[in-house]
Amino acid sequence: MNNIRRGRVSRPANTADPSRPAPHLSTKVWALILGAAFLLLAGLTAWQYLGAKPAARAEVWVDGVLKQTLDLSADGEYRIESAEGWNLLTVSDGKIAVTAASCPDADCVRCGPQNSGPPIVCLPNRVSIRFTDSGGVDGAVR
Amino acid sequence: MLLLLALSLAGCNLLPDASMQDRTVSDASIWAMDTQMDLRLYGDTDGTVMAELTAILNRLDHSLSATSPDSALTALNESGRTDDADVVYLASAAQTISAQTDGALDITLLPVSRLWGFGTDSYAVPEPAALDALRDRVGMDKLTVSDGAGSVSAGTMLDFGALAKGYAADLCRAKMEEAGIAGILSLGGNIQTVGTKPDGSDWIIGVQDPDDMGRYLLTLRLSGSASAVASGDYQRFFMQDGVRYCHILDPKTLSPVRGSLRSVTVVTDGGLKADGLSTALFVLGREAGIALWQSMGDFEAVWIEGDGTVWITPGLKDCVVEGSYQVIEP
Repeated sequence: MNNIRRGRVSRPANTADPSRPAPHLSTKVWALILGAAFLLLAGLTAWQYLGAKPAARAEVWVDGVLKQTLDLSADGEYRIESAEGWNLLTVSDGKIAVTAASCPDADCVRCGPQNSGPPIVCLPNRVSIRFTDSGGVDGAVR
Repeated sequence: MLLLLALSLAGCNLLPDASMQDRTVSDASIWAMDTQMDLRLYGDTDGTVMAELTAILNRLDHSLSATSPDSALTALNESGRTDDADVVYLASAAQTISAQTDGALDITLLPVSRLWGFGTDSYAVPEPAALDALRDRVGMDKLTVSDGAGSVSAGTMLDFGALAKGYAADLCRAKMEEAGIAGILSLGGNIQTVGTKPDGSDWIIGVQDPDDMGRYLLTLRLSGSASAVASGDYQRFFMQDGVRYCHILDPKTLSPVRGSLRSVTVVTDGGLKADGLSTALFVLGREAGIALWQSMGDFEAVWIEGDGTVWITPGLKDCVVEGSYQVIEP
């Protein structure tokens, strides 16, 4: 049986040396300041990298060609036609969802409303919806 | 203070790196190999490299297609023999990875995959007798590579779905490095980083949550050139009687893999290796996959279980930007 170590990382954890506080501040105060800074930075990192940061727009690609850029602040419905079929996109409450599609597996519909993170992809219809703000992520392994 | 903290971030350098500093950004997307491919290059000022990469991807899209009637792969599947360089190279690579993984990677399962309905519009759980009838046509022992040619036994058909995008990433990476171009390629979710971003920062790669495809379960920072490829049960599958049947088949059972894993991501120095190993590791399951990682020792991996547990190899621990995980130790 393998040995397991558990962890949760919200980097960075590398901070200024707490063993040398400024003369007028106690060690306890320094610890509080550094702890608060760490928690704030951890939250910012999680917000940035795990897809919580909402994008303002979504790009609709069909067969590798950019067809439309949708403003996620404006509710609406858009029917996207491709050579392979169709997808109905619904923009609501700052998110976009594929609410109906002609594809056989409906994976794209199951993705639900999104405004960040990995692209919504409909492989059968060759449709891809990408968010203009990647949240600091360069690429999504999927 | 936050700025100082942020600047103290340590990069995760798994692999050697060459610095490439031109800040010109070029983006392109194409549809090839039944998926969207997104290319971002830095420093390709006249578009030459992008054009070359696009040509590579379009060439492989055609020659490695198992459905195109006039592809090099179809020619092999129909005639039983080929000397096409790409097909022969991939067939040989498949033999190597299959041998390394105790047969977990098998590229002869195309007839079985079609029987389950993958690649068609009619998914169905086949009768056991129908599966048994195909056993004589499948198996890596039906494939021979020698003297620059590949051949298969009568009725055997190859499918490079588990390798083609990784191979394409390798060819693109070589072309970019030859031209001194940095960039990141997403070939249908296979990630290939090349060189260093102009600002010197690491590449941030998200590993998709199988249960919520709008979020990442883990984000990793990678330096330099690296390949990251995932295989899982959530991208292509069908449901029947409440059971999920994914497109990755177990060569031993000729049925979709049904285990506790939702996905496996492999991070290593080559796209082809990452592609083939991710499929093999998904077939093997976590325990056997860990044993393979221990014996090979030349890749890192992320296993995501059905309950959301994330397991990573120790080499990735310092690469994690965000996410909960458990570290596997030798």
